[in-house]
Amino acid sequence: MKAGDVAYFRAQSVSDAVAAFRSCEGDARYLAGGQSLLAAMNLRLLTPDLLIDIAHIDALRGIERRGGEIRIGALTRHAEILSSPIIASHVPLLAAAAPWVAHPAIRNKGTIGGSIAFADPASEFPAVALALNARIELDNGDSVRFVEAQDFFLDLYETAAEPGEILSAVWFPVATPDQRCTFDELARRRGDYAIVGVAIVADFSGEIVDRIRIVFFSVGSTPVRALRAEAALTGTALVDTDIELAQQALAGDLSPSDDVQVSAATRMHLASVLLRRQLGKLPVPTPKAVRA
Amino acid sequence: MNILPGNMRFGTGQPVKRLEDQRLLTGLGHYLDDKPADGALWLVVLRSPHAHARIVAIDTQAAREMPGVTAVFTGADLVADDVGTLPTLPIFKRPDGSPMALPARRLLAHEVVRFVGEAVAAVVATSLDAARAAAEAIAVDYEVLPAVTDPSAAIQPGAPVVCSDAPDNIVAAMSYGDAAVVDAAFASAAHVVSLDIASQRLIPSAMEPRSTIAELDKSGRLTLHVQSQTPASTRDILADAILKRPKDSIVVRVGDIGGGFGQKTGLYPEDGLVAYAAVKLNRKVRWRGDRTDEFVGGTHGRDLTSTAAFALDAKGRVLAYRVSSLGGTGAYLAGAGVIIPLVLGPFVQTGVYDLPLVHFEIKAVMTHTAPVGAYRGAGRPEAVYIVERLMDAAARQLGIDPRAIRKANYIKPAQLPYTNAVGQVYDSGAFAHMMERASKLADWDGFAARKKAAKKKGLLYGRGLTSYIEWTGGRAHTEKVSLQATAEGRIVLHSGTQAMGQGLETTYSQMLAASLGIGMDKIDVVQGNTDLAQGFGSVGSRSLFVGGTAVAVSTVDLVAKAREKAASILEASVDDIEYADGVLTIAGTDRRISLFEIAAKEKGARLSVDSTGEVDGPSWPNGTHICEVEIDPDTGITKVVRYTTVDDVGVAVNPMLVSGQIHGGVAQGIGQALYEGATYDADGQLLTASYQDYCIPRADNMPAIEVTLDGSAPCKTNPLGAKGCGESGAIGGPPCIVHGVLDALAPLGITALNTPLTPEKVWRAIRDANAAQK
Ligand SMILES: Cc1cc2nc3c(=O)[nH]c(=O)nc-3n(C[C@H](O)[C@H](O)[C@H](O)COP(=O)(O)OP(=O)(O)OC[C@H]3O[C@@H](n4cnc5c(N)ncnc54)[C@H](O)[C@@H]3O)c2cc1C
Repeated sequence: MKAGDVAYFRAQSVSDAVAAFRSCEGDARYLAGGQSLLAAMNLRLLTPDLLIDIAHIDALRGIERRGGEIRIGALTRHAEILSSPIIASHVPLLAAAAPWVAHPAIRNKGTIGGSIAFADPASEFPAVALALNARIELDNGDSVRFVEAQDFFLDLYETAAEPGEILSAVWFPVATPDQRCTFDELARRRGDYAIVGVAIVADFSGEIVDRIRIVFFSVGSTPVRALRAEAALTGTALVDTDIELAQQALAGDLSPSDDVQVSAATRMHLASVLLRRQLGKLPVPTPKAVRA
Repeated sequence: MNILPGNMRFGTGQPVKRLEDQRLLTGLGHYLDDKPADGALWLVVLRSPHAHARIVAIDTQAAREMPGVTAVFTGADLVADDVGTLPTLPIFKRPDGSPMALPARRLLAHEVVRFVGEAVAAVVATSLDAARAAAEAIAVDYEVLPAVTDPSAAIQPGAPVVCSDAPDNIVAAMSYGDAAVVDAAFASAAHVVSLDIASQRLIPSAMEPRSTIAELDKSGRLTLHVQSQTPASTRDILADAILKRPKDSIVVRVGDIGGGFGQKTGLYPEDGLVAYAAVKLNRKVRWRGDRTDEFVGGTHGRDLTSTAAFALDAKGRVLAYRVSSLGGTGAYLAGAGVIIPLVLGPFVQTGVYDLPLVHFEIKAVMTHTAPVGAYRGAGRPEAVYIVERLMDAAARQLGIDPRAIRKANYIKPAQLPYTNAVGQVYDSGAFAHMMERASKLADWDGFAARKKAAKKKGLLYGRGLTSYIEWTGGRAHTEKVSLQATAEGRIVLHSGTQAMGQGLETTYSQMLAASLGIGMDKIDVVQGNTDLAQGFGSVGSRSLFVGGTAVAVSTVDLVAKAREKAASILEASVDDIEYADGVLTIAGTDRRISLFEIAAKEKGARLSVDSTGEVDGPSWPNGTHICEVEIDPDTGITKVVRYTTVDDVGVAVNPMLVSGQIHGGVAQGIGQALYEGATYDADGQLLTASYQDYCIPRADNMPAIEVTLDGSAPCKTNPLGAKGCGESGAIGGPPCIVHGVLDALAPLGITALNTPLTPEKVWRAIRDANAAQK
């Protein structure tokens, strides 16, 4: 299948783009990397009347440190995230997730803004944003506002962005020395959307978990925090019995449903396997390492 | 059959790099859809969204009035124009002895649609976009009817009927062997091993989707550019069955093809439509299939469900063998159609074993699904899978080493030529030798240590072994070529076989260079033009052993003709003329003339021979594959970690190309074993209609495949000693992998699982087995 007819407008600035959006009488869509949008249009799942190309707006680019945060411009491509030294050292969870996003050809075009704005529940970056509680910067052409990731992902492909608002950047907190993170997913083949995935970030006091955020994706209509499992692990040293308790708690956190790929029960089981394995891999700081 | 010039055997056998690659890898290939627009009209096909429905009405008015639209055709228009239907082999009978059902496969459905994707209307317009938009504007009023997609459900009383000629949906049936004798053997056997087995329906994945262009020249002659593995029969079907015009009023042209795998044989409805439209409108017309067209409109493969059993004596010798199968045909019969399950499979259903007592029953069953046609192996992967699975299950049930039980049952060299239970004659083979060599190369004895190491990592580990055999030749044992020497100093071969990626240009050039003593850079291999060469084309792994035999014959003929010509030019006796390296010399003198100088004196400045090569029968490539797999018991994820083959392809002209064929076939075999499967829902919607849902393996899912070619049992039915090799990997692959997985799972008590062995299926089996053991 192929997309139907659609009008196209290349925006030079955010206000340009928003103005085009507001004056369009039909369904307008921003076009970034096109790696989700064009595929959905070819399958006739989306049939917009107007595409507003935002890929040439320089203000939406760039990766930089701003105080205790890293600001990643919306147009930053997956491939740039993968190769950025700033992200590698300051947002290691995002760096760990990037290789799991699609394939090189798609990573060369797809953008982080598109990924977060599209809010596909099987996507890696929304889960990372939620795990780190990133701040989502939204620009309506006149003013900018911020929404925390935990308030951003509302439902399947539904976010807190207002119609016409452009996601201009994502702000991630800089990782602290006592923070450890891990990311993994199970997919049918490498590069496929995950059957189930998990992003974990934990702050340690010595060997003890002070705070932990565990986010599963591909298990519901949005990325899902496993609050009960987090509670079960907070204040522990992540020994086997703690992990078992967290696995048991998971049943109250997740309620995946069946799909063509796998059943809900299998997903639940795989989530539990991932949790055990990833917690086991979390490089718990040794007292020595903490001192150093 | 000693027609071979002596030097052919010396010059070949080299792993010469593919002549095609430079051209193909630098974008200089001649793929059909790359042809310039050239004012052609575009044809777009509107497909049925229903698996079974009555077409109440088709309103094409709005579509006709859209900008750029030249014509809109429906089934009724084609019936009115007396356009014919696609033929199939009408040679079988239904179980009650009545003639087989022959549902009329029209280019466009008429009155009833029978599968999702069946072409219902065609739009021709000045641009692809205009044609697409107009196709969407066609309003079809359907009365949806109940559908059936599973062959076992289709033969139940009261099931929806696909074609009224087959009220029980059984198109045709075949039976082989003596049921009573086999039953008696089962009744008194020490052991009986039985299995329910399925080779699931697959969707072939050629890299290049189909496409077609047709145009009339000023004289009214039609050129059909198409991706066909069988250009001549494509022309004949179009001429005889569809357009009903003389064969020589059509020329079929084929350029490079990006993969065929059996799917691109014969004529597709879209090809016929393009040709019909070109004639009707007297315009150049083209069609470009996209992936969806391929998924729903191309033929599928496999779809064989069987119940099978061995009766064995106490030592593991098989006494009798029984198989009852249902072969899904889809809603219509593809060109090769029911011959695949009814004949080609049974040919090799006894594998490489001496199993004289058989009873095979096969019913070809229609369902409301895409037609099933040839796909790499066509019947043989399904059949070999049955005998191999049984052999492995028997080994396990009787507690015998899988190699030992095979050794006890292999056809012995002394039995060759061997006539199998269905009357097929194996000319050559060294089955036990291939197995023993493969075990050594696979480090059979090191398995225990590798298993132990995997266990330490928490993984299940298994080893699979399979011995396969392939019947090749497509029952077409002659091929014609023409070979020419030109005044410009080139050797030109016209062959009706058709390359689709296998490297025939290289192989034929190698053979010609070796036997004529002329550099490969001076040789042109020309295929894909029915005006220049006609033959059966490339199916059933026949190109080299049949087509190559014709090439060998042509070199002998060309040299003989050149010697005669030289004799008369040099005024000597033919017997005194010697040929070497393109030069003809009067023996013992320095009086000589080159082949090309002779050509310059000929009419048309070409010295030309038309030659026919004929082989004495099919060839029987075979071998043993051994793999090792590891399974993560918590996720069911299965990884093939070792894969070793010893393949008997007889004499290999180019071992590198043959190894490539084995690699590709094994990759598709791994696809069938672990990843792929077409799924229809109860309403007949194809759930796996894109690569998002139809999962094919990728490069990183492949193990290193260690191929060893063993030429110790050359083929005796052709002068080259070559056996086919194109389908071997796809035959050996699936049972080999499944045996590996089942071996890994055996300690848990799991004895059978149907492909594809997806992680979920494997994990569930492990979970259920663990629960049962508690
Ligand atoms: C074969 C394939 C495999 C893939 N696999 C994965 C995978 O494994 N994991 C994964 O996460 N993704 C995967 N993707 C999707 C890919 O990562 C996309 O790039 C990403 O989801 C969207 O980014 P984009 O820039 O391409 O957005 P687009 O496709 O251009 O846009 C997507 C949507 O977001 C909106 N949008 C885009 N940018 C903005 C913005 N700045 N402000 C407001 N709205 C905006 C658009 O209007 C549109 O609705 C895959 C894609 C393909 C084709």
